Amino acid sequence: MTEILRTEQLTKRFQGLLANDGIDFALASGELRCVIGPNGAGKTTFISMISGHLPATAGSIWYRGERITELPVTARVRRGIVRKFQTPSVFDNLTVQENVELGVLASARRARDVRARIARVLELVRLEEAAETLAVNLSHGQRQWLEIGLLLANNAELLLLDEPTAGMTVEETAATGALVRQLIGELDVAAIIIEHDINFIRSLRAPITVLHLGRVLVEGSFDEIERNQEVREVYLGAE
Amino acid sequence: MRLTRVRLDQTDGTLRQPGRPRLLDGEAIAGTGVFLMLAALPAVAGGYPVYILPQYMLFGMLALSLGLLWGFVGVVSFGQAAFFALGAYTMGLAMQQTASPINPAYLGLAASLALGGALAGVIGYFLFSAGVRGAYFVIVTLALSIIVEQLAVSQSQITGGWNGMFIDRMSLTFGPLGEVSLYDDAPIYYVVLAVVAATFALLKWLSRATFGKLLVGIRENEDRLIALGVRTALYKTSAFALSGAIACLAGAFYGTHANFVAPSLAGVLFSTEVVVWVAIGGRGYLLGAFLGGVLVASLANYLSAIIPRYWQLALGVIFVLVIVFLKGGIAGAIAKLLAPRRRSPAR
Amino acid sequence: MMTAVSVAIDAVSITLILALAAFGLAIIFGLIGVINLGHGAMLTLGAYFTWATTAAGVPFLLAVVIAALGVGLIGLVLEHLVIRHFYDQPFETLLLTWGFFLISTEVIKIVFGTDFRNVTNPLPLAFHLGPVSVPAYRTAVAGFSLLLIGAAAFVLYRTTLGIKIRALIQNREMASLLGLDIGRTYKLVFATGALVAGLAGALISPMLSVDPYIGNIYLVRSFFVVTVGGLGELLGGTLIGAFFIGGAETIIALVSTQAFAQTIVFALAIVVLRFRPQGILGGR
Repeated sequence: MTEILRTEQLTKRFQGLLANDGIDFALASGELRCVIGPNGAGKTTFISMISGHLPATAGSIWYRGERITELPVTARVRRGIVRKFQTPSVFDNLTVQENVELGVLASARRARDVRARIARVLELVRLEEAAETLAVNLSHGQRQWLEIGLLLANNAELLLLDEPTAGMTVEETAATGALVRQLIGELDVAAIIIEHDINFIRSLRAPITVLHLGRVLVEGSFDEIERNQEVREVYLGAE
Repeated sequence: MRLTRVRLDQTDGTLRQPGRPRLLDGEAIAGTGVFLMLAALPAVAGGYPVYILPQYMLFGMLALSLGLLWGFVGVVSFGQAAFFALGAYTMGLAMQQTASPINPAYLGLAASLALGGALAGVIGYFLFSAGVRGAYFVIVTLALSIIVEQLAVSQSQITGGWNGMFIDRMSLTFGPLGEVSLYDDAPIYYVVLAVVAATFALLKWLSRATFGKLLVGIRENEDRLIALGVRTALYKTSAFALSGAIACLAGAFYGTHANFVAPSLAGVLFSTEVVVWVAIGGRGYLLGAFLGGVLVASLANYLSAIIPRYWQLALGVIFVLVIVFLKGGIAGAIAKLLAPRRRSPAR
Repeated sequence: MMTAVSVAIDAVSITLILALAAFGLAIIFGLIGVINLGHGAMLTLGAYFTWATTAAGVPFLLAVVIAALGVGLIGLVLEHLVIRHFYDQPFETLLLTWGFFLISTEVIKIVFGTDFRNVTNPLPLAFHLGPVSVPAYRTAVAGFSLLLIGAAAFVLYRTTLGIKIRALIQNREMASLLGLDIGRTYKLVFATGALVAGLAGALISPMLSVDPYIGNIYLVRSFFVVTVGGLGELLGGTLIGAFFIGGAETIIALVSTQAFAQTIVFALAIVVLRFRPQGILGGR
């Protein structure tokens, strides 16, 4: 398993508030990792530094062996690092198919197999039946999947998902879990997922990194984390 | 995409393929029909229509330049007349170079294309690369119209000031093969028709290509496209440059056809007329913009003859009614009637 | 020395008068984000109402009040019938206010004709500061502009209404959750902006010859004043923007024609906006 992402002592300071404090993190290509932690632990800050939306105060970020700490967002997107935000942002007045088409065209302007790519993406995010539906008419969960579809069409290699199941129904959450596992399995895409939903995290059966007060508290499998005394204190204490 | 076990372009065969785009869509067919009719017109109606229609066709081309910006990128320009007038003045100046070894008309046309494209490109890049929002862009184009009009008035030693500038009719020269003078109405009619039809075809082709689709994406959700790694500023600049070049070229032909250009051709009032044409014709459809230019301009002309005091008021009222009730213009309304499956159209 | 003093006085009075002319737009564009391309038409209407009422024998000050109220009423009607349905579509409001300009200009031409009209200067005196002669009326208008801005500052920062308006600008959703009637506040702001524009047009009318397009001279200028000063910075922004635009134009006009000066200033304003889109005083 080759390493796709590594951060070394990644730090972010906001005028006196230390949001991320020397985070060391490594992700293998094709690996799925959940990042959890109480509110204010610095999860979104961490993701934002990887995607390039926040400049790092100190430390470094390595992607496929290349130092990307200073690269702007667009350069990182072209390298396959794509981020999905909490509120889904898609092309409301276009159909699902047109949405995905834009995702493909955005990265591969001269792709001959555009139609085939679109079909494949629609299949992966389970939206083939809704191909002719306007995005604005989709359910919330479907919009989230469509957005993931846009990112996939855009040749994502590292997906950064910030609370992808927020606002979803129980069924949608379960389906999202299956979708994500399938994506990782079939497409060799790596992903970091920030989540709060315990059931969703459990269903992913992926390694977990727990952040607390800007630092990595512990890493392990779901069962290990669930049994971990420190983690229980941090979560229960924070409530 | 790192494809290991499954390739992105492989499906399992049972999947329904997204609809294949047809070679000709409804708008292309209708557009072809319109231009064929225009081509046949001199055979059935001589005299005045053949004389005046090229000017309206060029207005249609000017409207197309706005339609590209408004319909595809989603920004309104109140400055298209500035480019139109610049093209006419450039042509006028070129035609005065009677000693030139190259056909001065060709110089004029090339210069106006280059000038329009370059000016719009520079302004566009200057603004869009800084992320200037659509509303500010509108104000800048408004200022551009004012500036060009005032320059046309003040630089009277070049432009003739308020008196305007006389422009000769051009000739087509083909080197050793001879020369075709466009003094008569019919030859220039066909030349203008060919240019306008070619512009329409070019824009239609672009609209279906990646360029056009990305422009629509920019219009619908620019931030999303930026987040997908698209340099939207470059696309917007290119669209503006193209629209400037088209408007300028149209103006050049207009100048040599009407034999005259005056500062009012650059001004805010004419610029806003163009906006009215495209609003009524239909901003989301190239054919709508084109026919808006041709038909609304001729309607305005007709109205100004029969109700000289009230025609501009009537046009203003129609404009407001169209914006409020018929946002897609007439073309949009027709499209909705013909293809109701889209519940809220992208135009 | 004499020229410098008169230039300085000119610059100040031009700044204040331009600020007055732009203030209505600063209110509408700056506070509720409507790109009011009919701003010039509102100024023109104010001027024409003033001319019509003074020509009918009404004293000047009363005529000004009537004109301001009249334009404010028109603004209210426009907002109620049309604009309020399009607040979330900035391009459409832009076009609609432009439609308002087209229609009102044509109505003016029909009702009043296109000849130049003259509103008699109610104060045709001049102060003498040493060798420099300063028109009294201009000074009065400039002084009034300062008063108006001061009054607006008072309303915005010392009254409950002002707090509501500032809350609205900051965060529309929160404001509505707090029980603020958004619709009524927007109406009030729009009508006030129209009223102020009409007032400005009325006061400026004796200084220019009145024709149907008189307001348009101030349209683009007002936009640049507001945006260069800083959108939403109602007071300081309008003054600084007016100083930049008006002052720069006056100074450049000393060495070239008015038309050229205007071109340069517009170009300058565009450059400033490009590098500092939030304006001089605007913060992100």
